Amino acid sequence: MSRLDRWLEDSARGLARAAGRRSFLARVGRLSLGVIGATALPILPVARANNDPRTLPDEVEGSQGDPAHCDYWRHCAIDGFLCACCGGSAVSCPPGTSSSPVTWVGTCLNPADDQHYLISYNDCCGRGYCGRCMCNRNEGERPDYHWYRSNDINWCGGASNQLYNCSIARVIGLASEQQPER
Amino acid sequence: MKRCAVALCFALAILFAPLSALAGEKNGGGGRPDAAEDYLLHCSACHTESGAGVPDLVPSLLELAPLLEHARGREYLVRVPGVAQAPLSDARIARLLNWVLENYSKLRPEPPFDAAEVASFRSAPLRDPVGFRAGLTRPAAQAAASASD
Repeated sequence: MSRLDRWLEDSARGLARAAGRRSFLARVGRLSLGVIGATALPILPVARANNDPRTLPDEVEGSQGDPAHCDYWRHCAIDGFLCACCGGSAVSCPPGTSSSPVTWVGTCLNPADDQHYLISYNDCCGRGYCGRCMCNRNEGERPDYHWYRSNDINWCGGASNQLYNCSIARVIGLASEQQPER
Repeated sequence: MKRCAVALCFALAILFAPLSALAGEKNGGGGRPDAAEDYLLHCSACHTESGAGVPDLVPSLLELAPLLEHARGREYLVRVPGVAQAPLSDARIARLLNWVLENYSKLRPEPPFDAAEVASFRSAPLRDPVGFRAGLTRPAAQAAASASD
């Protein structure tokens, strides 16, 4: 027993002399970054509602307005809190929330190129009301009896967590004409 | 604001979920809208851009073959409220139905839907689309007895 104790003690002291704790932590840190660092980025709690490269208007030059204001061109029929004021952006949900799978789609005119675009108004769900930048514009929006053109509906009703936090406005394509209800 | 109660939203979505609308020619940016654009504007909000719908909430458009094989399947596709009440002409709805079937279910309806067929059905939207569809997918004997509108 005493021989085993002595061997363990000698080994521990030898290791302590040869390698400091910081070098151990540095090695573990490098390993962690190398192995899991790259895979950790995609699981950050930010819901990218639109990974589709068709977000054309962002590339259009000219005055389009401020995504954190109600008069931003994409917000022509938005009803709710702007995610750009709530930790997200005009096209991405804030951390801790996710985009509703169902939504409503309308059209807005981009003044920069005088082109109409199809806008998908997705609600971001999973946390309570954001409470900032409340907007209520209703160009082309319809009453609840025309439910799939209504911005009064809490579209988080189709999400796993139905708490409404804020709204985004994704461009999902060009529109050849204004929506017929206008 | 978000006035509609969640329960009401679900009820509306389930009741009207199936298709929504259809039509067009060329894709966005100038000319007349094509069927793909009509789908985005009139259908994708619930059926999603992929056509997969939402499990237990919005029917998928990816596997419509069993529906189309039924004698009253074409009638269902036109009379379902989302289609019948869409703000599109008969011709655009016919084009959109053909596009949805081909693009999402890899089906070419024979004959293709046309304006006359759409007009003949859409004037009477289904009052109970869920029940009607369930009748189509039950065994023939039961379906014959219950597939009313």
